Amino acid sequence: MLDADKAADRTVQTVVIVGGGNAGWLTAGRIAAKHKAKAGGIKVVLVESPSVAPIGVGEGTWPTMRSTLIALGISETDFIRECDATFKQGAKFARWVTGAEEDFYYHPLVLPQGFSKADMAAYWLQAQSKPELAPQFSSFSNDLCYQEAICERSLAPKTIRHPEFGAVANYAYHLDSGKFGLFLQKHCTEQLGVEHILDDVTAIQSAANGDIAAVQTKNSGLIAGDLFVDCTGFSSLLLGKHYQVPFKACDDILFIDTALAVQVPYPNEDAPIASHTISTAQDAGWIWDIGLQHRRGVGYVYSSKHCSEEEARATLARYVGPAISDLKVRKIPIVSGHRTEFWKNNCVAVGLSAGFLEPLEASALVLVEMSAQMISEQLPANRQVMDIVAKRFNQTFLYRWDKIIDFLKLHYILSKRSDTAFWRDNRKPETIPQSLQELMQLWSHRAPCDLDFTSNNEVFPAASYQYVLFGMGFKPNLSAQQYLLDNWDFATQQFQQNRKMIEQAVSTLPTHRELISKIRHYGFSRI
Amino acid sequence: MAHLVAVDPQIHKEYYVYPERTESAGAELHLIPVVPAEVAHVACQMPVLLTKNELTGQFVLAAMTGFEPKQNLFWQDGRWQGLYVPLQLQRQPFFLGKNEGSGADYAVCLDIQNPAVGQGAVPEGAQALFSSTGAETEYYRHVKQLLASILQGEAQVQQLTELLLSMALIQPVSLDITFADQSSTRLQGLYSIDQQKLATLDPAHLVLLHQQGLLAVVYTMLSSMSQIYGLIDRKNQQLARL
Repeated sequence: MLDADKAADRTVQTVVIVGGGNAGWLTAGRIAAKHKAKAGGIKVVLVESPSVAPIGVGEGTWPTMRSTLIALGISETDFIRECDATFKQGAKFARWVTGAEEDFYYHPLVLPQGFSKADMAAYWLQAQSKPELAPQFSSFSNDLCYQEAICERSLAPKTIRHPEFGAVANYAYHLDSGKFGLFLQKHCTEQLGVEHILDDVTAIQSAANGDIAAVQTKNSGLIAGDLFVDCTGFSSLLLGKHYQVPFKACDDILFIDTALAVQVPYPNEDAPIASHTISTAQDAGWIWDIGLQHRRGVGYVYSSKHCSEEEARATLARYVGPAISDLKVRKIPIVSGHRTEFWKNNCVAVGLSAGFLEPLEASALVLVEMSAQMISEQLPANRQVMDIVAKRFNQTFLYRWDKIIDFLKLHYILSKRSDTAFWRDNRKPETIPQSLQELMQLWSHRAPCDLDFTSNNEVFPAASYQYVLFGMGFKPNLSAQQYLLDNWDFATQQFQQNRKMIEQAVSTLPTHRELISKIRHYGFSRI
Repeated sequence: MAHLVAVDPQIHKEYYVYPERTESAGAELHLIPVVPAEVAHVACQMPVLLTKNELTGQFVLAAMTGFEPKQNLFWQDGRWQGLYVPLQLQRQPFFLGKNEGSGADYAVCLDIQNPAVGQGAVPEGAQALFSSTGAETEYYRHVKQLLASILQGEAQVQQLTELLLSMALIQPVSLDITFADQSSTRLQGLYSIDQQKLATLDPAHLVLLHQQGLLAVVYTMLSSMSQIYGLIDRKNQQLARL
């Protein structure tokens, strides 16, 4: 009894992270920066196997990465130079709706014009059926957001005169995952005081209450800690193997189960760099296309139930072109889903050990960032309160995974493609989560609004749903909600304002390639 | 269009320049680059601030002469109205070019299309570059001296901005200005000294600035901010004349 009390009072002093890679280093960095590991605060130890290579997927981030880099005290110039990083201003979805050559829409990172003041979607929808109201309309994302025009011209979201992390247009990054891991490792060990142990974990030593007391390593002995973070990738050594926390597959909703990835060099060193992720729908999945500084990352993610590997390789080859004959295509299995709990006892999983979903909305790194942030900000003071934090962490992240699954599925159910079984199967009602079906019913009469998403833990804002819904041609019936259209003067102003912003942006922003070479040459100022 | 050529005593033996006409290069500049050595002179009439070079994003030291591009309130009636002419205008139409070949690092270049440049017999008010014997004239030696001061000054500007950045002493200037005709403008892309941070700067940093001869520059920049009012006054007078 006395011992148990002692254990409960024990303050959290040492955090042990098992596994390197981006998940491990981002979590180590967030905790070490917040809790002043270098100045003798919380001790952060990262033990990493020298023989396991990180999986290295996830080259796209969210704008949250800017705040993560700031929290870690990283210079944007250093990050861009050392991680082959480029700017990402959203995603272009090609051939998702009809499959035709000219079929595309954008999910940009800037909110729709006037979004915070009125439901501009309603006006935009109304204008579609009344051309006399707005003769120049093109698409939802282009009529209400200036970022599509920037992306279509391969322009940067800022100029060299902007300070680090400042911008004209909201942005995220594309990065070389392997370089990013090494960059974070250097920063965490040299600047933030994270202790790095290169060794294999061979066994787990349990405490009486079922906690992990220590991990046994091959050459470095026992590593004891108060909190263990499982960043061991798909193998999920601690949460999956040790604690046997079940994995909840969602392959009944999202069918993608295989990726074929390839690195494609640019034709020459001045070739334009796309300023957004390009996602092009195919017969049994879609192809991602991400422009880094020195190469593109391209990959076909597909459903092996709907397409053979041979067919998939041929599809990828058609997309990449003749250059593919010299390139190495890597096959990566994808198991869509997540653990039913992420924090058990004194062990929390971050990254692939917690789960994975197809990279349609770059959810992998953002979930790592959100997990690392919550662990560092709510780091339990002692073992007694850890269970409460764990419960909240689990609730928060189960909600987030569900929301991401809904949002990914949204892209599939709005498609009008019926050319292959993959697209037809994706719209079968039994494959659509109840929560998403309910939202679709609500939105059959109005546009998504912030009130539909009231949790503090939302992942995607209502604006994202609007971009996808109206980008894909969804048409609510507004006849019962005419009050939404009571201020046309304001709406007209917003449409005009957007056209002005487009003009201004395209006349002042440099090309993406030009800005990258200036960053390499001069760098940004801190202010 | 400017046409820059490296000055060669053989080729440019008969060239001359009207020094009085060269200031027009600044007629449409609202920010004129300056160097630390001339900050005290410039600050008598103009705010001295930091701004970022369009092409490189690097901080440069500049005299503010207008509120928007192409507006120079010190250029009126076809002439420079300021008490002091910044080196960047004095050195016109000469430039320093990086020497591609071997030998000296830099070559003096001349913009032979500049209206202040001529060729032949030297008219009144003009200055020859070379004497009849081919020797450099006093005027040309003076020009070379100016160019050398600018080159040296640019290195000092870089040193200054690096120190200011490392001490976090730079802050954006945010100012909304309304003129006599009720039109208004917001100053953008300008930076100055953070007065509060300067007031609490630790002694070691103060000494460092002092030893580099830059402490006076920093305080002069700070006090020159009040010249904004003089500039607003010039703008209002200009509006009244319209």
